[in-house]
Amino acid sequence: MTRQTILAKTFVELADSLVTDFDVVDLLTVLADRCVDVLDVGAAGLMLLGPDGELRVMASSSEAMRVLELFELQSQEGPCLDCYRTGQPVVNQDLATVDGRWPRFAPEALRAGFQSVHALPMRLRGQVIGALNLFHIEPGEMRESDVESAQALADVATITILANRAAFESQLVNEQLTSALNSRVLIEQAKGMVAERLGLDMEGAFNTLRNHARNHNLKLLAVAQDVIDGALAPGSLAPEKRSDR
Amino acid sequence: MAGERRMSILERLVGVGAQGFETTRLCAVGADITELTGAGLMLMSGDIARGSVCSSNAVSALVEELQFELGEGPCVDAYHHDRPVLEPDLATPSRVRWPAFTEPAVSAGVRAVFGFPVQVGAARLGALNLYRDTPGALTDDQHSDALVMADVAAEVVLLLQAGAPPGRLAAELEAGADFQYVVHQASGMIAMQLKVSVAEALIRLRAHAFGNDRSLTSVAEDIVNRVLRFRETDE
Repeated sequence: MTRQTILAKTFVELADSLVTDFDVVDLLTVLADRCVDVLDVGAAGLMLLGPDGELRVMASSSEAMRVLELFELQSQEGPCLDCYRTGQPVVNQDLATVDGRWPRFAPEALRAGFQSVHALPMRLRGQVIGALNLFHIEPGEMRESDVESAQALADVATITILANRAAFESQLVNEQLTSALNSRVLIEQAKGMVAERLGLDMEGAFNTLRNHARNHNLKLLAVAQDVIDGALAPGSLAPEKRSDR
Repeated sequence: MAGERRMSILERLVGVGAQGFETTRLCAVGADITELTGAGLMLMSGDIARGSVCSSNAVSALVEELQFELGEGPCVDAYHHDRPVLEPDLATPSRVRWPAFTEPAVSAGVRAVFGFPVQVGAARLGALNLYRDTPGALTDDQHSDALVMADVAAEVVLLLQAGAPPGRLAAELEAGADFQYVVHQASGMIAMQLKVSVAEALIRLRAHAFGNDRSLTSVAEDIVNRVLRFRETDE
């Protein structure tokens, strides 16, 4: 099977899993296996941030203890942790020369037979949920195209996982959406009332409401509700024309 | 295969680097993947239309706006009945479903229109609106693509909102959306002008638009821009 076909098949398998009863670990194991096939790496694993705030290995291409232990170590130190913290790829790290960057992890990885290591962030919009970890048996740099492919695999997995999480709580999130829209409507209505009464534009009306909220330690929504209910007269508010620059 | 369709959609949405997730892409991809003229994503909550998350062109934006204003149309029906609503020939339909929506839509160039509910499990978010500027039914492929697109749209909207600060709309959902804020602002202004409740003000706003054969949005804009004001003595 060509590399392209393997990549395409991976994507389809990942995409097929966007149903509410899919098993995250199965999905990530497919991804890890494919990384080994497509990217010529010795081992691949996915680390996700657990509810305890620590990175945990969720899937690995190899069940060998030595490999799993390498992932375990990375909850404390290593390329995945660095990658997770910065949200940036950590690539082409030659384990023999990392200069004490990972004093526990690097010697263990070398002992396990790996020469270089990479971690790609699993990230969407600045939210990093984990990292894709790749180990090479040979030294040398990973091709740019392979780094891009690895990042693409990580990206699709990230979206799949996040969308599934959101879908799992779909009713709750939908209610939050409704509530947020309702709040917004109230604020816009209150802006209109204030704008009319004080002769302001909508920006000025918004600033007026917001200043009142801040000065009285109230939530903006509560102030808007009071204006609409008639409990707070727009005429009593201190007009604010422009945002302070 | 659903998986391949979904992947095709995801690939187009993800693009190069998943940093900026633009909801406008949802509509562009929706029109693209089904090979139709335009797409709009209508958000409904609390059983009322809220506006559109995105629309792929001006005509789609109009289709969304008409449904918001008139409370009828393919998205409204798809949402309420939980199933796709298909009108392959809007200009000469077998029966007239949307008496107020049809004429302005046809005038704008909509000749076939389709609504697909956008939901995840029990959570109903709204509907995806697809239109073509020539009449004709959807092919099986297009229908399947539309179903998967609606699913993905639902997941993406929830995904984006799930990342929002509590009580607020996700910034990504606001960008490119039209939640008709100008109508609500105008309602507030009219409430002060006529000394009535905001709910009553909206009714008066709608009545004025209908009575003067103008769109709700354009009257609202005139109010907000102080080109028009309501006086207590006005009918």
